[in-house]
Amino acid sequence: MDAPFPFGLPLPTGFYLTMYLVTLVIHVVFMNYVLAGTAALAAAYLRRGNRGAGESTFILKEWMPFMLSGAITAGVAPLLFLQILYKREYYTANLLLFNRWMAILPVLIVGFYALYLLKSRWLTRRAGWLAAALAVVPILCVAFTGYSWTENHLLSVRSPAFWGEFYATRAQVYYDPQLLPRLLVWAVGSVPSLVLVLAWQHWYRGTGHPGSLARAAGIGLALTCGAAAWYYVATDDATRGAFVSPLAAPYFASACLGLLLQAVGWGWVARSQSLDGRKLLVPSVGLALTVGGMTVCREAVRIAALGPERFEALFPGHAEAFGKGGLFVFLSFFAVNAALIVLVFWLVRHHSVANTVQKRDPHGT
Amino acid sequence: MEAVLYPVNDFGPVMKGLAIGGLGIFHVFTAHFAIGGGMLLCYFQWLAMTGRSKSARVFLDGYFRYLVLISFVTGALTGVAMWFTSIQVSPVTIGLMVDEFHWLWAVEWTFFCLEVVAGYAAFKYGPQLTDRARLALLALYSFAAWMSLFWINGILSFQLTPGAWLESHSLWDAFLNPTFLPSLFYRTIAALVVAALVAMVLINLAPGFSRNDREHLVHRAAWLMSPMILMPILGIWFVAAMPPDSREWIMGGSIAMTLMLNIAVGASALVGGYALIGLIRQKLFINGATATVLCVLAFAATGGGEFVREGVRKPYTMRELLYSNAVRPEQVAALRQHGLTEIDPYPLRGEDRLPKIDGQPHVHLRTGAIVFRQQCSVCHTTAGVNALPGLTKGWDAEMERQNFAKLQHLKPFMPPFAGTPTELESLVQFVEWWKQGRPDTWPDTAAAPQEYAERLARIRHWLDEAGTRPALVRTVPTDAKGGR
Repeated sequence: MDAPFPFGLPLPTGFYLTMYLVTLVIHVVFMNYVLAGTAALAAAYLRRGNRGAGESTFILKEWMPFMLSGAITAGVAPLLFLQILYKREYYTANLLLFNRWMAILPVLIVGFYALYLLKSRWLTRRAGWLAAALAVVPILCVAFTGYSWTENHLLSVRSPAFWGEFYATRAQVYYDPQLLPRLLVWAVGSVPSLVLVLAWQHWYRGTGHPGSLARAAGIGLALTCGAAAWYYVATDDATRGAFVSPLAAPYFASACLGLLLQAVGWGWVARSQSLDGRKLLVPSVGLALTVGGMTVCREAVRIAALGPERFEALFPGHAEAFGKGGLFVFLSFFAVNAALIVLVFWLVRHHSVANTVQKRDPHGT
Repeated sequence: MEAVLYPVNDFGPVMKGLAIGGLGIFHVFTAHFAIGGGMLLCYFQWLAMTGRSKSARVFLDGYFRYLVLISFVTGALTGVAMWFTSIQVSPVTIGLMVDEFHWLWAVEWTFFCLEVVAGYAAFKYGPQLTDRARLALLALYSFAAWMSLFWINGILSFQLTPGAWLESHSLWDAFLNPTFLPSLFYRTIAALVVAALVAMVLINLAPGFSRNDREHLVHRAAWLMSPMILMPILGIWFVAAMPPDSREWIMGGSIAMTLMLNIAVGASALVGGYALIGLIRQKLFINGATATVLCVLAFAATGGGEFVREGVRKPYTMRELLYSNAVRPEQVAALRQHGLTEIDPYPLRGEDRLPKIDGQPHVHLRTGAIVFRQQCSVCHTTAGVNALPGLTKGWDAEMERQNFAKLQHLKPFMPPFAGTPTELESLVQFVEWWKQGRPDTWPDTAAAPQEYAERLARIRHWLDEAGTRPALVRTVPTDAKGGR
């Protein structure tokens, strides 16, 4: 493990970790949209009740149920690879947290249907306070889920001896000094992601206020840096060392570079006051570098917390799973279904009744 | 011996199987509806765009599509819930399944993604699209939903009939196992039936339809139930492909299994009879109340069927690979020598409530409680559903010793006892203590060393007589032949 990720790891471990991280990044994009988006929706409704809403609030309201579905669906793949990589750790943490952990499922269902209610015409005929109260439900549900995942993750990297002690206490809540700063990094880090996706949505629709979006992204980036600083102070030397270890150092550097690119890109957007696609590419590349880099760093922290002995003890299990068939079937269906998803977008874009009428009668006669 | 032991949670009076079974039945019914609902939407879209039914278009734009949307999200979430609950009930089982089938699960995930995107696009943009484009979206959604059934069906049916995989260890032998096809076809028909019945309820509830419209739509939807005529053949095919001992359970060997099978068959026959004779042959109308009753019957059929599917695997969770209590068949012999209680890293919860000997928790009751936790608690409780003290009511301690030692012969759907004579004796003491109302004091089991040693020797003799293999096996390995 003296080489940058994934070099220096046995092939099966490196391969599954790569699959895990790639699918996790996809999940994180959806998750960030949902986490920051539900917070933004709650803030908008608390401020204005159900009286009129800005363009961004409208987009968020329209897209949020799909994005939550996307976050859940995209979360299935990393969850699968997680079970191959850290089976004992992950299962044990699930079992120790028991009902507290299982609660994320009904909570997510409640959050999901609250988002639908928020979109419904029924709500527009109700009092503003009711709309505001309802708008708070999704963010509470999503925040609870995020909290639970962080709690689960931190418990999963504790020692087996600690698990035994924890089990004896019958506790179903685990607290760790890292928990809140770590969660805060995730939470405020989701803001620049949301703003960027929202900016692309505005770009597609030909709407949006570049200055407001750039300001929101800037605040998000500043808060992320602040939360990262708190995390740095609150955490231990091993965790801090993991970021600059040979495994993660290049990725940490790319994450920092990504932050810089995002700041520069949003500055450019703010100055030009336009949501031009080329200008949005700069923060997009920056965000990809930051999210990708931080995802690898997060893994390096986990590996450091487990320690080399425990981590290396997992290798034979990875090698055994690697020997099972089906990879090429997966890759084939991945390609086919990705193409079919593109086809869905193409159908929606090019086959609306309005488009067809326009093609048949371009002059509208 | 090498073993990864997980913490075990106490579900109180609820049997763990009931928790996962209840969720499983709800998940299967919802997921079946989402799959069949997509097919029904495709059919109605085709009827509308080809001019065969004007009211089909009104129905398409109505509540049904919302219901399909709700169900496929609930189906997806309860699917994740099934995963999490499986971890709670038997992490070893789900871990083995993930190791073996992770790429197929990953394939299923790609279809989930397509299902979500196509489903949302059809829901949100469908009414604004051309008919052909809308049909294409609905077809993609239905295809993706059915393919997710295709993949998960192979994984689940493997648990009962691993088939040629036992020799070849080939993924495709595992996936295309003997019950794969009958199960897939049966579930596809069940999905169509559930969707058609729910549609009939909604056709009656939706405002704006005349009686003629309702009759027309009901008869169109009823055609989706016509494949039910194949259900008996598929059912017989499935039963024929089952291992013989599992077949015995449903044919009277286990009264619970037989009863549940009868509920499934009876409810399906009622729904099928009404659909095939009443709705299709005699073209009768069905009102909302009757359609709802048929939905409830379909739910009962799903419940009965899933109960049987889960139950007939006993004593395994993965046939010939893993017993219900997460012990592998090949581990039993070693566990009879060394036991697991000594190496269990998780302390006993509530140890302080046990009677004391010399100020310390009663050592045998403590061991017995850990044996119960490791080997019994996945299916049994101490004071609730399927409670061990209740099941052994009327047995004295000596009967318990012999019956626990020869468990797989006493009840062939039980796994062999996988522990040392001391652990078995401790379990007997633990069960007796519960049967006697958990008194504050309990005699030291080993107080008379001579008698205690003789007791353990008797247990060892019975364990040896019973052997380490299950009562009914597919093949008896050469080294085990004549060993009993």
